[in-house]
Formats: sequence, C-alpha cells, structure tokens
Amino acid sequence: MSKVIVVTSGKGGVGKTTSSAAFAAGLASKGHKTAVIDFDVGLRNLDLIMGVERRVVYDFVNVINGESTLKQALIKDKRVENLYILPASQTRDKDALNKEGVESVINELKADGFDYIVCDSPAGIEKGAFMALYFADEAIVVTNPEVSSVRDSDRILGILQSRSKVAEEGGTVKEHLLITRYSPERVEGGDMLSKEDIQEILSIPLLGVIPESGTVLQASNSGNPVIMDKESQAGQAYMDVVSRFLGEDVPLRFVDPEEKKGFFKKLFG
Amino acid sequence: MQLKGEMSMLNVLHIQDTDVSEICSKLEQKRDEAPQFFMQSPIVIDGSELSGNALEFDFSALKKGLLDLGFIPVGVRNFPPAANNLMRESGWAVMREQQSAPSVSKSEPVQESKAKENQTTKTQPKDSQVEENKENTNPAPQANPVASMKNQMTVDRPVRSGQQVYAANSDMTVLSPTSAGSEIMADGSIHIYGALRGRVLAGARGNESARIYCQSLQAELIAIAGRYQLLDESNTTLKGKPAMIRLEGEKLVIEAL
Repeated sequence: MSKVIVVTSGKGGVGKTTSSAAFAAGLASKGHKTAVIDFDVGLRNLDLIMGVERRVVYDFVNVINGESTLKQALIKDKRVENLYILPASQTRDKDALNKEGVESVINELKADGFDYIVCDSPAGIEKGAFMALYFADEAIVVTNPEVSSVRDSDRILGILQSRSKVAEEGGTVKEHLLITRYSPERVEGGDMLSKEDIQEILSIPLLGVIPESGTVLQASNSGNPVIMDKESQAGQAYMDVVSRFLGEDVPLRFVDPEEKKGFFKKLFG
Repeated sequence: MQLKGEMSMLNVLHIQDTDVSEICSKLEQKRDEAPQFFMQSPIVIDGSELSGNALEFDFSALKKGLLDLGFIPVGVRNFPPAANNLMRESGWAVMREQQSAPSVSKSEPVQESKAKENQTTKTQPKDSQVEENKENTNPAPQANPVASMKNQMTVDRPVRSGQQVYAANSDMTVLSPTSAGSEIMADGSIHIYGALRGRVLAGARGNESARIYCQSLQAELIAIAGRYQLLDESNTTLKGKPAMIRLEGEKLVIEAL
C-alpha cells in the first residue's frame, strides 16, 4: 500500500523543502521506493535542494497537462537508489494545478509501485498548499519554535482535518509534528518556545526535533539532502525521524543544551 | 428510497399582526442585509405571537409576497386550528406543532449532528445541524420528557486557529483544546474541558442565562448574549484556571469553578 505524505507548515521558510528532501531520501535509503513532488509551482526549490536542477526537462505541470509522461518528468536520484523527484514548473503559477490532474499523477505513482509519495507543500493556505494536502494520508507539520509558526501550523492542521480528501470522506489524516531549527540553548535561555510548549499548543504527536545547524544551509546550497551528511546532528536527527516514522522506537537526540555538563556528570555520566 | 422524519435548517418568520405588506417590507430590509444567505431559503411562518384574528389573515398574499422576495414558503404553524382550512386553501402546508412531534424525530438530529462532527471539523457554522425553534414553544413542563430535552453538540477534535464551530439552539461541550484564533459559539451554554484559547461566545442569539464553563481559561475573548470582553482587559486572577463566566446585568462575571 502506498502512502501519500504531505510536508506542510502554513508559514514559509520553516524548512518544508529541506525536510521533504531529507525525509524522502531517508525513506529511499531504507529501501522504500519514494517519490517526492514539488507543489511549489512558480517558485520551484526542491530540485535545488536535491541537486537535480540541471536535469529538469519536464515538470509536474507538464504531466498534469498531458504534455509529457510521468516517466519523462520523474528524475531518478543518482546518489540514492529508489528515490525519484518530480520537479515543479518555474514558469507557471499555482492555477496550473487541479484536483483531477494531481490525483491522476498520484494514482499513476501508486500504480508504479511507489511505497511513499512525499508532497512538498508551498507556504500559505492557498491553492498550492491545498492541492499538496488534499490527497494526503499522513501529514508532517513542520514548525519552528516561535509563536507565528506554531499559529500557522495550527491553522493548517484545521484545514487538513476539514478539507482534505480523507477528512471529506469521514476519516482522519494522521498528524506528525516535526520541529526544526531547534536550539536547546536558546530554549533554556527562554527566548525560544520549548518542544513541550509547542506540543501543548498543537496537541499532536511529536515525530522529531531537528537542531538548528549550519550544516543544513551548507547541504542545501550544495544540493545534498542534509540526511546524507551522517556526521551532522541535523542529518542524524532526520534519520531518527525516518526511523520513527517507520515505526522504530528511537529516543530524541540533540534536544538538551551541550557543554553544560556539571562536574559530577563529567565524572560519572 | 427512504422517508425519514428529520429536521433541517429553516428560517422561521414570527408574525405579530395581519398587515401583509408591512411584513413583506420589513422582511425585504432583513433580506437585503444578507441577500446571499436568504436567497431561495425555505421559510416557515409561526403564528404563535399573532395578535390579530388569524381568520382575517391573507395567507395567499403573504405567500406571493415571500416568493417575490426570493424566499420559498414552506409551511405555517402555531396558528389556531380554525384557520387550517384557510391556510391549506392558500397552498400552505400546515405543520405539526413542536410538542406533538414524535419523540423519534427529536432525538435523530442530535445523533446526526454528532456523527457529522466526527467527520468534519466544521469550519462553517452552517455545517452544524439546527433544530429550529425550541425556545418559544410552550414554557410549561412538557408531557414527553424526551421532547423537552435540549439539543447538545459535542466537539471532540481540537478546534484549530481559523475554525469556527457553532451550536445552534443548543449547548456545546468541547472535549479538546481550542486554539488561539479559533471561535466557538453556542446559543446555549458552553463547556470546555480542554484548554480554552480562542474566542468563546455563549448565548449567541441573546440568551442571557447562558454560561461558559472551562477547565483552563486562556481565552482571547469571552462573550455572553452580545456582551463581550477581552480577557486581557479583565483583571481576573483566574487566567489559566478553571472558571465559570456568567452575565450579571450588563457585566460579565468570572468566577472560580
């Protein structure tokens, strides 16, 4: 059974695309055939983060309009087996998306034997975001530890549970909370919301916490999903996220301030 | 096919006198306030407040007037039985009075609205089922206890920012948290067992005895029967605590639960 997962947030710049790329690459590296679709038509970024921007010939909108086949548009990742990217169009806008078209693409991916279809949502609650979440079975809600991001995530959760296809049919979209750009030091200092605060407001299960890290930006700029950087904390945290998503019981890491070990802890811990 | 006794949303026009042209002109003003809302909406005429003689009432003229205004006249109720023939001749359906309706059809909408809530998170108030007109039927204790039971809406999913939930003609019980930027409204009282963070409006149609009960009062705005207050402007010490809000005269009073 293939699963459609939307990576969404409401607010922009919180790390949806970075997380989509990392998550999809993680799933693929664990042997699951995975496609990641960029729904940000007109502002395509996913191909950059995935480092395939120079390999885009056809895009999502071409497939929807029947101007190319899905096979022609899907880009096979050269680093990770089982990973495919469906880029967005840069020259069109969100109006190019429609339910029927998106549904047919998703159904074709399912028929092709994809285990996971990751939908990278654009920011906002308009058409692009709506299209990205409409067919989702599960949702990863990406949130930064600050109030406006949490508020927007709350809003998008409401839309997910009232306007998605699953909700319209009387079901529930499974929700996962992914906190990114988390800085335990600043949480301790009181200028960032803690993961407990965020969870209390959103009251959905926590899938993972990605620490704020320079390697994320570096990885994005070089077109390598950060999850491939097995040395970095962010990469490891994303790998934990993927494991947890697949049902493994993995403890949270990198959520406590570093270098604050007390004397006794240093001795015994 | 199935034939079921169900209630659905109807506008009820309460008439006080027999002047059809005045009724129509007042209704026209009302309609123009929200033309989209009233466009082609079914309407029922209630005669319980009528002071004039029902036998002198021009039911045909009223029907024509309503059609001209874009309403769909459905039926009449609470008129003296003597006028029944007159109303039928003018093409009106004479509706059974509330208390004589079978109890089955009373309990059905309750279940329905509950089932519906479980499916959708009802961002629109009109999603909620409305059992119309319960207040202005006989105030005396009723023979049938089931019929006198108040409608009740239960919300068991978080009410998120941007969502609105409205319990028409009933109380509301919320088992989940409500978020900042959300809005819950009821014509009756509201009970919230999760954290209350959004706006909360009880007695939305003017019921001054409606109250708000909550486990953790963090609301942005509280209101009963149109009297509202921003919680931040209140000097209550009960923020974040269990509280009850009621109306005393024109003032909202927040008390510990």
